[in-house]
Amino acid sequence: SSHEHKLNFRKSKEACLSYIQDALLQKQWKRAAEFLTCYVESLEKDYSREHVGPSEMIWRIGTEILWHHSQSSMKEFNCFMEQMKTLGVKRYLKVCLEHVFHLLCNGQIDEAYQNLSLAESWRFGEQTAIQDKEMKLIEAYRGLLDYYSWSKQKNILLENGEDGFSDLAVEQEMHSYFRKAAVNLKEIIKIPGVWDVFVKCYVDLLEFYGDHNEARQVLNEYAYNSKFPANPNAHVYLYQFLKRQGESKKSLISALKILHDIVPSHELMIDFNTMLQKSKKRKKRRLGLEVIFAALDYAGWKENAKAWSCLARQVKQIVISEKHLDWIKQEWNSRKDWWPAFHFSRYLAKRNWQENKSLSYEKALVAGILLGKDCKYFKYVSHQGCKAQLKRFRMLKKFVNRHNPVYLRISG
Amino acid sequence: MEFPAALFPSYFGAGPPREEGGPAPVAGWGEHGQVLEGGPGRRQAQPAFVPRRGATGERWEAADAAAVPVLLPSAGCWIPSPAPQDILYRSGLCKKLRAGKSGATLDFARQLGHFFVDHPEDAFGSLGQLLHKNFYLGNSKLKVTVSRNSTIRMTALVEDIDRLEARRGCPRQHLASRLRWFSHLCRDWLFEVPLGLLADCLHEELMQQWSNLLFDDSLTGGALAWLPPEDGGTPVGCLVHPGGQAMNHLYFQDVVLEELPRARRSPAQFELSGRVRQVAAARVDGEDFVGVRSDYHCGVWRVPGRTGAAPTPLQVIRTDVPASCLTVSPHLPGELSVCTQSGTVYLWSVGTGLQQLRHDPQTMFFRDRSPWRWSDFTAHPRVLSCADRTGLQCLDARAPKKCHFDLFKVGEEAGCQQGERVVLPMYLGRAHPSQYLVTTQFSVYVLDERLPLVPVLKWAHMMKAPPLFAHLMPGNPGRSHQVLLGASRTQELVLLQYRASFWGVSSGGSQSACQLAGTPQKLHSIAGCLQHLPTQLPHRQHLVQQRLEAPAAGLAATLQEDGPHKSMLVFQLSEAGDVFCQRLTHKAAQPPAPPLRDEATPAPGSSPLFEAPASSPQGLGTAALRYRRWLRALSRARREPPWHTWHPSLSQRRLFTRRDLQGPAVPSSLQRQMRQRLHQAMQQGGRIQRWETSAVQPPPLPQTMEPAGGPDPLSTRLTAAWAGDWEQWWEERTSFSVAQRQRALRERRRRQKRARGRRSLSASFTSSLTYQSELSELSDAGPSLLSPGRPPILSQEGSPPAGSPAVHSPAPSPAPDEALLSSQSLRCRGIPKERRKTLRDYLSVWAEGPPEPPEPPGSQASQLCIPSSQSQLSSASQPRRKRPRMGF
Repeated sequence: SSHEHKLNFRKSKEACLSYIQDALLQKQWKRAAEFLTCYVESLEKDYSREHVGPSEMIWRIGTEILWHHSQSSMKEFNCFMEQMKTLGVKRYLKVCLEHVFHLLCNGQIDEAYQNLSLAESWRFGEQTAIQDKEMKLIEAYRGLLDYYSWSKQKNILLENGEDGFSDLAVEQEMHSYFRKAAVNLKEIIKIPGVWDVFVKCYVDLLEFYGDHNEARQVLNEYAYNSKFPANPNAHVYLYQFLKRQGESKKSLISALKILHDIVPSHELMIDFNTMLQKSKKRKKRRLGLEVIFAALDYAGWKENAKAWSCLARQVKQIVISEKHLDWIKQEWNSRKDWWPAFHFSRYLAKRNWQENKSLSYEKALVAGILLGKDCKYFKYVSHQGCKAQLKRFRMLKKFVNRHNPVYLRISG
Repeated sequence: MEFPAALFPSYFGAGPPREEGGPAPVAGWGEHGQVLEGGPGRRQAQPAFVPRRGATGERWEAADAAAVPVLLPSAGCWIPSPAPQDILYRSGLCKKLRAGKSGATLDFARQLGHFFVDHPEDAFGSLGQLLHKNFYLGNSKLKVTVSRNSTIRMTALVEDIDRLEARRGCPRQHLASRLRWFSHLCRDWLFEVPLGLLADCLHEELMQQWSNLLFDDSLTGGALAWLPPEDGGTPVGCLVHPGGQAMNHLYFQDVVLEELPRARRSPAQFELSGRVRQVAAARVDGEDFVGVRSDYHCGVWRVPGRTGAAPTPLQVIRTDVPASCLTVSPHLPGELSVCTQSGTVYLWSVGTGLQQLRHDPQTMFFRDRSPWRWSDFTAHPRVLSCADRTGLQCLDARAPKKCHFDLFKVGEEAGCQQGERVVLPMYLGRAHPSQYLVTTQFSVYVLDERLPLVPVLKWAHMMKAPPLFAHLMPGNPGRSHQVLLGASRTQELVLLQYRASFWGVSSGGSQSACQLAGTPQKLHSIAGCLQHLPTQLPHRQHLVQQRLEAPAAGLAATLQEDGPHKSMLVFQLSEAGDVFCQRLTHKAAQPPAPPLRDEATPAPGSSPLFEAPASSPQGLGTAALRYRRWLRALSRARREPPWHTWHPSLSQRRLFTRRDLQGPAVPSSLQRQMRQRLHQAMQQGGRIQRWETSAVQPPPLPQTMEPAGGPDPLSTRLTAAWAGDWEQWWEERTSFSVAQRQRALRERRRRQKRARGRRSLSASFTSSLTYQSELSELSDAGPSLLSPGRPPILSQEGSPPAGSPAVHSPAPSPAPDEALLSSQSLRCRGIPKERRKTLRDYLSVWAEGPPEPPEPPGSQASQLCIPSSQSQLSSASQPRRKRPRMGF
């Protein structure tokens, strides 16, 4: 009966698919390709109502095979992609995008640009939400490529400008690239998302043409709009922009303060700390101590010699001046039950000493002040340092011994 | 670690997932996802782009055609967990129904029937005893006697039931009126446990078993851990895995990494009080900390860094609700996190104990029924992630109520599909301090806690079962990291590679965004070796197949670098306790691929494993040898028949040694004495009044089970009813006080004994003397217990029924073998007809009773002939044991 026929056909289709899957997962591209030629038949009698139909499967599998198959060429790949585009209306834009991505990764920028322009002009009935998103991405990538062309022209122009020779045609071309890029890039970065590349390019364009207000607005929007994800890069870009603009310390600090609040372990925290330490205001210096302590809480910073030297410097300053010991005490309070095991174990003392002497020096200084001269880490490192007859380790020992009462005040 | 200077573009939405989904078989192929400008050559004229997925990765190739056993199978038999056919209703009609939309039908009636048959005491205990006289089980018609009015013939009912059973599934079946009548009459009072309650409990249990069969999340995380050797040390690592029949033994096995890993020395072994569900390990300050989770207990062990050092147990905690997660901190020694199914998350540090971080029976982002919870550590040692099926949150242990943020949400934020649920979160700290892996049944996500909610990587893994196990092998800086995903039921293993690395100092040293590298690769599963095994006898083949196809229970792996050669060893644990291993060798990067590389991997069906081709005969040879040894050990373990066909039996040779049966060549002094007395009596024509020679005194009666302090009458009555002595309790209450009664009983016993002693003497004159004396002692025990008319004193002393709460026998004792008790075999041993029944009774009493107190009264001699082999015979955890036959 026809029902049975359908059922059997479905079964053999599924079996075929599982063979293909098996071959793909074992990197047997040839075998997968052979099975795929059989699977193409499933397009003829496509009764399935699953959300991934056979045409999408063929597109995905075929693409994967052509990526890896030893005898495939770019020409064949393009040909296959063109066929796939006509296979399903709903997926047209998606396939276009993927095709463009592949061309871009293979350095065929011009072909990619052509494909993007073609896709942009494609219209078919009413667009779904997903298609709308895909269309926006296509436009954005075209904008990105326009930006790269613009930047190329700009470089030519700048080089020529050095020679005191300007080319009007090139300049006009450059401006037209700017317009095309700006329009498309501006569109996508309004929509919530992660658009690091697009934002960077757009801001670069704006800055070149001196539209700093617009650039600032874009960056502020990207960093502070609550509909966007809490992307640390958005704050970094803003900070870098402000720095380029020569903004006041205050606005730089406030930008970094927000970054500190969302990502205390960001690598810019060292800059932030240095900036704060130099400040004359007590509150800022206090914040600096907080920032560096918080950064060193993270496992990724454990062996960051720069950060330890920042902390060591500030702690040393406070100890020598004997002012604001309570800052250290407060920071230390929430950490004294786990920092010793996390940072100052004997095992780490040994390893740090072997791997990075200056790191162990900075850490030993901090350990000696926070945990006293009997702390394992300090004892081991200072002992080794004195044994190796290193002058600064002897100084370190003296310093810690002299300031040992500080430890009692901090821990008390 | 620096944050990538630019991330791959992506949309960000909020709210529930919009994409309709379902398992898509090929969703992970053929997509680059996004591209980003980057990579080397930034300064060139043209920008270079890198894809999110599809970059070239490292090439790993399997060294052998199949996974190879690492350890020999343990001696005990493995008890397979229930299969769908055990609890599903099977009939033509139901198959049709199932093909529709009604789903699976659980065979509730059959299970309830099993319960009634297996535990009649618990099901009908007291009323069964009360009604004993009123049920007639014979085939003949009831005679018209006095009992006619109060006795019913059950045979007809049984026939009706059988008929009903035969017509099962028939749509036109009607209940026989007699059955309906009977069930209507007695449904309310016949059952010891109210039927509705019992049915509820059973149904709940069945649903539980069925959902476990569909997806068992208690195994999440896996019960296998590899403790790698210390850097630069000898290549001896330690494999931590559970074993034993109930998987309740924990082994620390030293393993030497050679061509094929080899066990060294016998493992350190710990017996635990529950099935090991998860083994988690982390190395802190050169020491390994191993956390072990069973349902109600979690324990932590410390393994010192140097090889060969013994593991020391540090602490154990007990939970009221089953624990669902145990992870070990990679930051601080002796710190773990524990989650229970009640929604509680604890930070457990060995020094200071448990700190509750959160208690919330509800799920976090939307409502989901699963009580599964998970927790892991993050880049900050005081911040823990906690997860349920709907997402992940991070909590600061110092202020868990105030400081938290959402790390992952099943929703539009991560581009999830409808119905997607978190299966396993894992901290990827060893590769990147702020990255996290989250697997769902459809996809894997890599998250960066500095950019919460937006996955930095997403890929549809296309596995048939949800990945319950994951293992990370961090690559060197600049290389890709390897992640293994493993599923339980299907034993799937998939190798992924991802990169979160520097492009190098030349391009400014900025870090690139996370990328999936290479194509995913399927590794050998344990069951995959079946096709390579030599053909065996069908039943043995079936056993091997059943064993090898057991669901996977854990996953571990290690990278091994031996000069230029790099290889990966992947261990897989099965629920049967087998550990299999496969080696993958690293091939140098191959941008232009050799044209014929397809042929390098063996096609299924070929079996190079046992053919030992010329290419590398040595390796394949050892693999084949491993298999041979494993198969041999398995069949040896199997020779002792599997538990379900294993009828408890007594060795006759040990019950009566040949010497016992032959009779001693030189009679003992006791025998001589007895003979003398016999001679004497015969000569005198008198009789022997007391058979005992001298020192045989009636032993004191053991204490009756009576709680001290005289409980109220209701509880004594309930206790008695529970123990099955309800009738006796009533009699006691109506007649004498307990003390009086005991005295009277003692007196009566003595009389009985004397009377029977005489009888037995006259009846058993033919056989040997020693033997007689033994049996005459034995004969006291049986009838007094078993005839319901008499006060069952012995049932108090020796053998309360198995269901009694007051007695916890360590292991159920099996019934004596029927063959032993067949009258033929007893006759062969010269046991007279009258005694056979007594002996049978005695043995069944012994089989039923707890080991303490072991002997019935006056059994000096019985110790001689009954071997004290309780422990030998007890088979632990027999789920469906047969009731001992009570001698009738």
